[in-house]
Amino acid sequence: MGVRETQKLETRRKVLEAARDLFNEIGYEETTIRAVAERAGVSVGSVFTTFASKADVLSQVMDDRVDALYRELDHVARHMRGSVIDRLCSLFAIHYDFECRRVRLFLAHIAASFSPSLDSSTVPYGRNTRFKAMIIDMLREGQTKGEVRDDADLDLILDTLMGAYAWNYRLAAAGEADHADMTIIMDRQIRLIFHGLLPR
Amino acid sequence: MNHIPMRMNSPAVRPQKMTRRAMAKQQTREKVLQAARELFIERGYEGGTIRDIAKAAGMSTGAVFASFADKNELFDAILNDDFAALLEPMQDAVVGAASARGALVGMFGAAYRAHAHQLPLILASLAASWVRTPEAERLRRESMRPIRALVLEVLERGVERGELVQRFDLRLIADLMWDLFLAGYRPAAFDGASVETQTDRLGDRIDVVLTAVKA
Repeated sequence: MGVRETQKLETRRKVLEAARDLFNEIGYEETTIRAVAERAGVSVGSVFTTFASKADVLSQVMDDRVDALYRELDHVARHMRGSVIDRLCSLFAIHYDFECRRVRLFLAHIAASFSPSLDSSTVPYGRNTRFKAMIIDMLREGQTKGEVRDDADLDLILDTLMGAYAWNYRLAAAGEADHADMTIIMDRQIRLIFHGLLPR
Repeated sequence: MNHIPMRMNSPAVRPQKMTRRAMAKQQTREKVLQAARELFIERGYEGGTIRDIAKAAGMSTGAVFASFADKNELFDAILNDDFAALLEPMQDAVVGAASARGALVGMFGAAYRAHAHQLPLILASLAASWVRTPEAERLRRESMRPIRALVLEVLERGVERGELVQRFDLRLIADLMWDLFLAGYRPAAFDGASVETQTDRLGDRIDVVLTAVKA
């Protein structure tokens, strides 16, 4: 890899780290590219050769975080024990714990997903295909094990679960819940939804 | 004569108790909200600055800032007003429904229909709602309270009628229904789905949740 390439990667890394911290410390709207560049120790110009916009920076910050999370999760998930309900509860618990470490950043990400300038794949959970795939896998396994009805619409269940997961963060936004609180609520929501999925 | 709509059922508007000054402030507020609403529908959230809104409302930016601290607050006010106005059509939908499911789909469908021509505005309001101050959160709760209470009421009546069984906390279910309803604005805005499709999709999710409590 050439010097130019290495430098560009290094700039990218520094910018993402600085942006991640600033978005979380002072908020997304409040953070300027100039502030990010300053924190990262790079020029504003170099930020813009690597990123299309502030929204692009946020998008890539979140992608990187997801990469880090799933590197761990791919190992852990294989060893998860218990019923499909238990495993789903654990999966969401892990996500709440992870995202609440930088909750303001995650809330900014949710808010940004409502922007009409972005395409529909930029949902907090829309682009996270690995998250969705893991859930579908768990649901399918549930069908194999007789814990989930054969005729259950798995995509619909997935959407309902993801809706519940994402909107529980409004409690964090209101400053009323930490990851443990949201996990308790999600557990209850999962059991509620699953009650309807049990084989007749 | 410039008719400024005053919502007479809003607790802030009681002519006998309001001073002239308070009424003038209320009028300014309504004017700004109306101008902001129109500008945001026309140009989106990004397109309208406080300056633009002040100009459209025919007043100084100072006057705007006297009523609203910033754009987010303006959005909250628009959202709160919009949802407060939904109570009556939602109540009508509930009264006319044959089942709890029908009542829920009916009332949420009424909201989707009312907002169909201003989805970008709703989306921008929802976006702002994720980063609001505690005070703004309190105001939002106030304006949503009657509608959210209606959701719970529908479930309670369903239990009374023997249509639903209280296997789970009804408040948990009501909250989830509400979240799924709000979640339904986003995909519709992005894929341009019709109100019917948007409502049907929500109906599917409501069915998933209700299956757990169906008698």
